[in-house]
This record gives sequence, structure tokens and C-alpha cells, in this order.
Amino acid sequence: MGNGFSDVGTVQTQMQTPVYNSPNLEMTRPSLRLRWAWSLCLLFSQLSFATDWQAPIAQLSAKIIAATGPGVVALEINNRSSISSADAEEIRRELVSSLSTSGVRVWQPDQAAATIKLTLSENLREYVWVAEIQAGASDSKVILVSTPRTTFTAAASNAPPITIRSTALVSQPDPILDVAILENNPPRVIVLGRDAVTIQEFANQHWSVIQSLPITSPMPLPRDDRGRIFLRKDRLFDAYLPGLICQSTNSSRLAMSCSPSEDPWPLQTQGISAFFSPTRNFFTGALVPGIGKQNSAPPFYSAAAIPRANYSLWIFAGLDGQVHLLDGINQQVLSRVHWGSDVAAVHPKCRPDSLILADAADSESSDSIQAFEFADREPAPVSPKLNLNGKVTALWSTGGENAVVVYKNSSSGDYEALQLNLDCGH
Amino acid sequence: MKRFNSILIAAISLAAISASSATRPHYGGTLRVSIQQSAQSFDPSAGDAPGFRSLLQLAYETLVKLDDRGRPQPLLATSWQVEPGNQRWRFHIRNGVIFSDGIPLDASIAAASLRAANPDWKVFALGDLVMIETSVPMVNLVAELALPRNSISRRNQGTLLGTGPFTVAQFDAAKQHLTLQANDQYWAGRPYIDSIEADFGKNDRDQLMLMDLGKSDLVEVAPEDIRRAQAGNRVVLASQPAQLLALFFTHNPRSQDEIQLRNVLALSIDSSALNNVVFQRAGEPSGALLPNWLTGYAFVYPSGVGAGTRPGAPHPVTWTLSCDANDPTARTAADRILLNARDAGITLQISNSDNVDVRLVRIPLPSTDPEPALDELARDLQLPPPVFSDSTIANLYSAENSLLQSHRVLPLIHLRVGLALRSNVHGVKLLSDGSWQIDNVWLSAETP
Repeated sequence: MGNGFSDVGTVQTQMQTPVYNSPNLEMTRPSLRLRWAWSLCLLFSQLSFATDWQAPIAQLSAKIIAATGPGVVALEINNRSSISSADAEEIRRELVSSLSTSGVRVWQPDQAAATIKLTLSENLREYVWVAEIQAGASDSKVILVSTPRTTFTAAASNAPPITIRSTALVSQPDPILDVAILENNPPRVIVLGRDAVTIQEFANQHWSVIQSLPITSPMPLPRDDRGRIFLRKDRLFDAYLPGLICQSTNSSRLAMSCSPSEDPWPLQTQGISAFFSPTRNFFTGALVPGIGKQNSAPPFYSAAAIPRANYSLWIFAGLDGQVHLLDGINQQVLSRVHWGSDVAAVHPKCRPDSLILADAADSESSDSIQAFEFADREPAPVSPKLNLNGKVTALWSTGGENAVVVYKNSSSGDYEALQLNLDCGH
Repeated sequence: MKRFNSILIAAISLAAISASSATRPHYGGTLRVSIQQSAQSFDPSAGDAPGFRSLLQLAYETLVKLDDRGRPQPLLATSWQVEPGNQRWRFHIRNGVIFSDGIPLDASIAAASLRAANPDWKVFALGDLVMIETSVPMVNLVAELALPRNSISRRNQGTLLGTGPFTVAQFDAAKQHLTLQANDQYWAGRPYIDSIEADFGKNDRDQLMLMDLGKSDLVEVAPEDIRRAQAGNRVVLASQPAQLLALFFTHNPRSQDEIQLRNVLALSIDSSALNNVVFQRAGEPSGALLPNWLTGYAFVYPSGVGAGTRPGAPHPVTWTLSCDANDPTARTAADRILLNARDAGITLQISNSDNVDVRLVRIPLPSTDPEPALDELARDLQLPPPVFSDSTIANLYSAENSLLQSHRVLPLIHLRVGLALRSNVHGVKLLSDGSWQIDNVWLSAETP
């Protein structure tokens, strides 16, 4: 029985090979070089146009011809869709051309046997083209064709002095909790997801999953997916999830075992760990072994440390929306600082101290990341904002110069992981 | 008009999500909700208004859900396949899902639930698969399974149980009050808030008053109040034009003459004036059943433009008209329709009787997929079910055209659905069809 079924849910766009007209003898002949340049331009414009609109034009043209038969028609086009006016004009030109090859000539309304009112419209998923054909006094006939809508992505970036440089890592529809970089050439990463740890490799211009290790948990994981993955010396990795730890095993083929655990998660390469609530989305505040004389911090979402000569200054993004500083003796609240829930430390080569990357909301649908220095106890911005086309879901320091940010792209809906580092004024 | 549209567009863009900063969600707290619909029970057969439907989905889940573009997404089914011919389907049931009494969901429970809701289908379990066979091809079966009436539920000692992120702690029909508790064992993670307290049967004015008094966090806003409501310490969201305002004839036309009269009535009603004045420009005049954003072709159906430019009725006629007695705006709209009709030579008499010729109705859009939306709309209006031989736009147009050709329903306006939230409520999503997604809602400390 299974063989009779087909998967449902994917929409395939049929691509058609562009077809070129034979030379028009009435055209003047430009120089050979100019003709080549013109031909190349035409080729590229035809290729890009053909990809989007050629199939629906052919379909619409066939339906109009079937309705009107050969003859003279008037054509009026009204664009009420998100199709650009340039594309709309191109659609008109191609449609007129397509109709004429089948004996339907587009001419003035007063000399036409039928009038075609074509509206370029759209719905949630498709471009919908509606042709209302009026021939004489008879009722108008409505012809519809549709083609899937394309999605568009947009992103913005800012300029130096210190610039946050982002390098795209992986992108996928399912949540990405953390990413560890295994190799740079060829790029190979370990991706911690909600349901699996995957090893992915970049080859032939796209990321491929070369191994997937499912995460098995006896309890449902809490919402607002959070987790961390760390590379290890004695095995490949440890992955921490709320109430769960998953460790790779040293066998002939890479495998992973998961077990319930409330062990603290490492915070940074400072040897300090913190307990993460097994049923919530935050660290409880209990620290192991503690910062100096302080064994706990207020419950927090994320933490970052700036090493100083005799101590480390720890920055916590608290549940109360405040930024808390701990230095081993004192605790301070920065009431005037309004960051988001995610902070991470990076140490660029060009700076003596570590800097803090913090997220903030730019709008209801997009966040940004900015770098700050702590010359004393007050943060000062040192970089323009890196604007993201979506909301940040994770920001983790990878130790040293880099951090990883994950955001949910508001255009595509995919989770996108970027490696962040800082460029110092060049 | 343009200014209001830009406000609405801004509101709609806000509708994506109402988080106000890059802070992570907080756990805890109780969300207080008010809705207009009253109900004698809290189950999938008790109502279809967007607010009621949205609360239902928190307790009772379906095999699939539709995203904001009407595309099916896995919910209790992780994947599905169809045999050529669109008459045999199989759905893989998600592991690890439990009902609120701790009993795990399996294919046989899911099949029994679907069988009860769809006696015409042959539904049975095969291992962890649910098999569905239909006597006629159903190109839109997956989207239809996302409708609340196809929720997967089971009864335990008379109580209806679901698998959703919240469990029904209490429904008091006398007090029209519902209490939902967070489901700690929910397969996709416990909700952020601890509970939801919902009051049913509150009219639009009372709902906004409850919000102003700090007694409600999330309320419905009538289309005509969307602009006025955008004030104070609250966020107002507006959906796409989703609710159909229409005149519905209670019987089929008995003659060609009656068809002509109904056409005259349709063209005599100045839908633009109705929209601008009565509904404060919160809708789009339309002669189609489904809104243009859902089909892309609704504009081909002209909306009425008033009797001044149209031929009048060939002879005098009198029809009785009813509207919802608890809906003062509908009464105002009915009065304007009366005037327009009179100018065309048709007399409409308002009546509270059940036995009337015409009803002024508001019908919520039941789905973001056009085919089940049209199917449900026909069901609501007791019209013959539309036939879809394939899922092309031409076929959808043909099916809608057939319903309109019955001359039983005269579409007037597609109205937006409004929702107001207190500023400390985050994670609310208002979908294009006017339903809300509040399973990810969380509460922050309220800023003064």
C-alpha cells in the first residue's frame, strides 16, 4: 500500500527553457561587439524573467486564445499585487508577444472584437492573474492562472570604527540552540537542535547534514529552547539541555547518549558553572564554584565575564530585566542599562580587554547586536549596531574572539546562526 | 481612508508578535481574557467565533495546523501521505503526546475521534498510522483536519479531554467563566503562564471597560472600535478583513423574478458608505464570499454602489429582515440597508421573528486555507457543499461562483477583527483570519 502514496506539502515550480525569436530583418545591424553585449544583456534579462513569469504567461495566453480565438483584442493591465511595475510591463510585453504567435493581435479598443482586462493580483501563497474577457454584449468570462509567490529576505549592516563582522553559519527551519565550529576548511559544524545534534558540512554552496544524532528525553523540554554545546578533548562534545546532558561516545562511529542531569552548565572558559532550571528557560543563580566570595547571582538568562588584573567582572542579564555586575565581593545593578536577555564576551585581538556583545530590540520583529566596553562599571557602546532581520534566540560566547548568534529570520521563518567577531577600524 | 489604512497596516504588522524588547519570556502569572461569544459548553462543537476558537485550540489539538499563509504544518501528526486520486490518506501520529489524564495518544484514539466528527469518512488505525478513506476525492482534506471540529479528543467519565498546552480546570456555564491550567506534561513544553481565566458573553463595550479597570488583559475589539481603542496603556491589533457581513436569504428563489429582485437589492446597497460610516472604515466592501487577500480574485465581484446609479425593482416587494438583537452595530447597519433598499423600490421590515425572509449575518472566516474556508462557510449558511476537483485557483473561483449563483447570500463587507492587549502581555499572534495564537503568551511587569 505504501508505494501508492506520495508526499504532500511541497510546491514545485516548473522551470521552462527560454525560447528566442529569430532575427528581425528590419532592425539595423550594430557593430559585432555591441551586438554581443546587447545579446548578453538580453540573455540575462530573459533568463531572470523566464524563471518567474514564463510559465504563467504561457498558461494565460493559452486560456485567452481558447476563449477568444484568433482575432484582434484590446488589453488593459492593472497591477494590484506586489509585482514591480517593471515586471508588470515585462509581463505585458511577453503576453502580447505570446498571443500574437497564436494569431491574437492586441490593438486599440475601438477596433477590437474583445476586451481583456487583466489584473495582476495575489493571495497569501500565490500570484493570481485574473483576465476578464468581454466580447460584445455577452457576459464577461473570467480566466484565472496562478503561480507561487517568492519570498524575499533583507538584512542590513553598519559601518566601522569597530564593526561586528558576521559570517553566516547554518540555517534551518528547526530551532538552533547552539553551534560549535569543528573545522574551517572545509567548514564543518556541530549544531545543537531541540530534537537532534547534527554534524553539518559546507560543500557545493550549501550545508549538508552528514550525521544526525537524535536527542532522547524522558520529559518534554521547556519552551524557549535553550542549550549549549562544548567541544571536549577526551570526546567530541558535551551538549547541555534543560534537565538533560548528552555526550558523544568514543566508538568507531560517532554516537551520543543522553541522560537526565541537573549538573551545572559551564558559563565560559573561566571554570565557573551555573545551574539551569530543568523546567524553565533561565539559570537559577546558583554558581559553582562561585565568583570570589559570591556563590550566587540573581536568577539570570545569560552571563559574560571580563577578566581584569586581579579579578573578573561578571555581567548577568537578569530575569528582572536588569543588568547585574558581580566582581567577587560586590553586587551592583545597572538600572540605566536596558539590554535584552543575551550577553556574550568576546576578546578581539586589537583590544586589551574583552568586550560585551548584547542584544536589544529594534522593533517588534527585529533585534540588533552591539558591542560595549566596560572601562569602569558602566558600559559604553564601541560599535554600530548589527541589525538582524529577526529576533535573537541565542547568543553564546565561543571563547576567545568569537561568539555565535542565532536569530529567527522574520522573512523566511528559518533559524540562522552567525559567527560574530569584531573588526577594529579597518 | 489612506491614513486609517496606514494605521491598520501598522497594527497588522504589530500583529506578528507583541514582544516589546529582546527579553526572553518570563514564566508565571494568569492571563485574563474576555470574549463576546457565550457558550453552554466548552467543546469544539459549541462555537466558531475567533476568540472562542482560539481558546479551544489551547485545550484541544488537531492533527495538523495551518500557518498564517494557510500552509499545513505538523501538530499531532508528524507527517502525512496521500495516494493518487486524493481518496486515501495516512497520518503518522506523534509519539510522546498524552491527554490531560495521563493516557497516551495513539492512532486508535485519534481515529475514533475523527470518525465521530466525520461519519462519512472511513477512519481506522494501522499501527501508529491513522488511515482516512473518503468516498469522493478531497484535495483539501489536510487543511480541513486543521478545523476545530476535527480536534482529537476523548471522553473520560463524561469529561472531554484534549492534548493541548492547557487543560480545562473548570467551565461554569451559569457564570460563563472558563479556567485553563498550564499542562506541565505538554509535549512541546509547558506554557509560560500558569493559567487563563476567561469570561464569555461580554459585549464589546464591557470588554474594553474591563481592560480599563485592570480586570482583563486581552479583549476583543469590534471592527468599528479599532481606531478608537488605540489609546492608553494597551496595544491594539487588527487582522486582515476576515469577517463576512452579508445578507442571507432563508429560502431559495422561487422564480426568475425573485432572482432579479435579489440582484437589484444587492446592487442597491451602498457598501462603501456602510463601511465608512457604520464600521468606521474597518473593512473592505466586497461582492465575494472570501476576501481578496485569501483568493486574489474577489475584486471581480462588484460590491453594491447604492440605488442612485442602478435600475430599481421591476415591481414593489416587501421582505422581512432580522439581525442579531445583541449587536447594536448590526442594527445600525440594517437601518442603512433599509434606506438603500427603499430607494430601489424594495421594502425591508425589521423583525425579531425566527421566520424571516432575510438575515443580516456576520460570519467569521473559519480557515486561512480558501477551500475549507469556503466549505465551512457553505456549511454555516446551509448551502450545498462546494465541489473541488483540484486545488487550482480556477476551481476555487468556480466553486465560489456556484455558491453565489444560488442567490441565497449577498456579501456586503469583509470586516477586520480587532484585539486589544495590555502592554505587559507578550507573545500574542493575531492570524489573518482573526483567530489568535496565545500558547506562547507571557507576562512581564507592567510599565506605568
